[in-house]
Amino acid sequence: MDYVIQTNQLVKQFGREQAVDTINLAIPEGEVYGFLGPNGAGKTTTIRMLLGLMKPTSGTIHIFNRDLKKERISILKQVGSLVENPSYYPHLTARENLEALRKIYQVPKSRIDEVLAIVKLEDAADKKVKAFSLGMKQRLGIAAALLHEPKLLILDEPTNGLDPSGIIEVRHLIKSLPAKFGITVLISSHLLSEIDQMATSVGIISEGKLIFQDTIERLRDHAREHITLRVGDSMAASEALLVRGVHAESRDGLVFLQEGSDTHVAQAVRMLVQDGYNVYRIEEAKRSLEDIFLDMTKGNVL
Amino acid sequence: MIGRLLKSDFLKIKRKGVWLLTLIGPLGVVCLQMVNYSLRKDYLLQQSDNDWHFYLLNVHAFTPLALVLGIVILTSLIASVENETNAWKQLIALPVSKMAVYLSKFTVLIVLLLTSSVLLLIFTLGYGLYLNLGDSVPYTSLIKFSLYPFAASLPVLALHLWIALVSRHQGIPVTAGVIGVILTYMGYSLPDWLIWKWPALMNDWANPDIVVQLGIGVGLLVYLTGMLHFVRKDVV
Repeated sequence: MDYVIQTNQLVKQFGREQAVDTINLAIPEGEVYGFLGPNGAGKTTTIRMLLGLMKPTSGTIHIFNRDLKKERISILKQVGSLVENPSYYPHLTARENLEALRKIYQVPKSRIDEVLAIVKLEDAADKKVKAFSLGMKQRLGIAAALLHEPKLLILDEPTNGLDPSGIIEVRHLIKSLPAKFGITVLISSHLLSEIDQMATSVGIISEGKLIFQDTIERLRDHAREHITLRVGDSMAASEALLVRGVHAESRDGLVFLQEGSDTHVAQAVRMLVQDGYNVYRIEEAKRSLEDIFLDMTKGNVL
Repeated sequence: MIGRLLKSDFLKIKRKGVWLLTLIGPLGVVCLQMVNYSLRKDYLLQQSDNDWHFYLLNVHAFTPLALVLGIVILTSLIASVENETNAWKQLIALPVSKMAVYLSKFTVLIVLLLTSSVLLLIFTLGYGLYLNLGDSVPYTSLIKFSLYPFAASLPVLALHLWIALVSRHQGIPVTAGVIGVILTYMGYSLPDWLIWKWPALMNDWANPDIVVQLGIGVGLLVYLTGMLHFVRKDVV
């Protein structure tokens, strides 16, 4: 698989604090990669390093298989970004804001109208950005990030502070980018639901460490329901089930069944009753993605 | 790269009152002499044999202060354009080198202050001719009094730009600016090595050309130090 972003043992230290701790990101091409973590976990610091805004304490960053340290400028020609709150020049109009960037990228003037259309700001093009709502400023930020037709888009908390309709708009926009323009997107958020609705791959960071990195499906697998049985002797009972070919394990005095279908549960219960175990309770425990996220970020292993 | 950045930087200072300030500075300095000469022209003409030279000295009395004041205000305006919404994180993530970003800001200020100095020359000459101070206009002195303070103030410019571009809080450049203006105001009684005194072209070094050479040399040194600091600094 081709990776657009690869970091190797990336570390950033602020004084004694390890803000980013040996992170190995691997972001495949054409994905919307959700970069998830609580506030202060090191997301923004990582993103700042990916954009060359901060220098890593140690480790390497490769974007488009090129070393960021050596080829920063040529890499950044193909990267669009929106870091935290949108950056803009309030005394200039939306068009002038984009023009200030266009002069540097040297893309044709027509691109300004194109990106304004993509984020639906055509009508406000000649208004001063000072008067914009936060949602409009955010959309202008995305327009700025798309101006030079980048291959990689890095968005740090792009829906922060938006109202629900703004969030939905931005979300639709981001989801459409890989298919429409062939852009790989890295999007960070502290909200799992946000990532769940947009991302195809996920990386979870907590206290500077990357604790999960895989497809969103694999993350959802962890959220599958579990059937728990409270029985007389959980250790012996789970072994008895295992002997008969039923996947079960004993934890905290409970028996966990891995298969949750009706027939499997019925079969397991029948076996236990036949073997003379007392079955007190059969419960279905469903873990939401939120539970998993919380578990993971608290340092619990899955 | 630098050309593209300059175009962008000049666009960004639109509607910031920067050009107006560039005009008001030299106009103000000459206007003070308009007041001075319209109130007591006869007295002033009695003060010396060389009326043109005396007039130029009078104009020059306020040039250093106006210049340093202009430097302080313009550097903080230029920095505020990027600081206001922390546009640094957008600017530095563009495919440009940080050195070029810094050079571009410095160049914008050089252009503005040089414009001011040339305007000062024109206004001084204009009012001088109006006053009818004598047939032989001392063009060499006129150029020296208008452009030398600018060259001598380059270290001050480089220093204040450095402070303005690397400070996260507005308070630091403002404090430095106030101190700079006060030092310039007190220039008369300060030691010669203090850079804020240089725009006054007053010293024991006999020849004002030395101040110009020093200004360019030290200015370049301070500029390079500031730029290296800016390049190494992380954008937060």
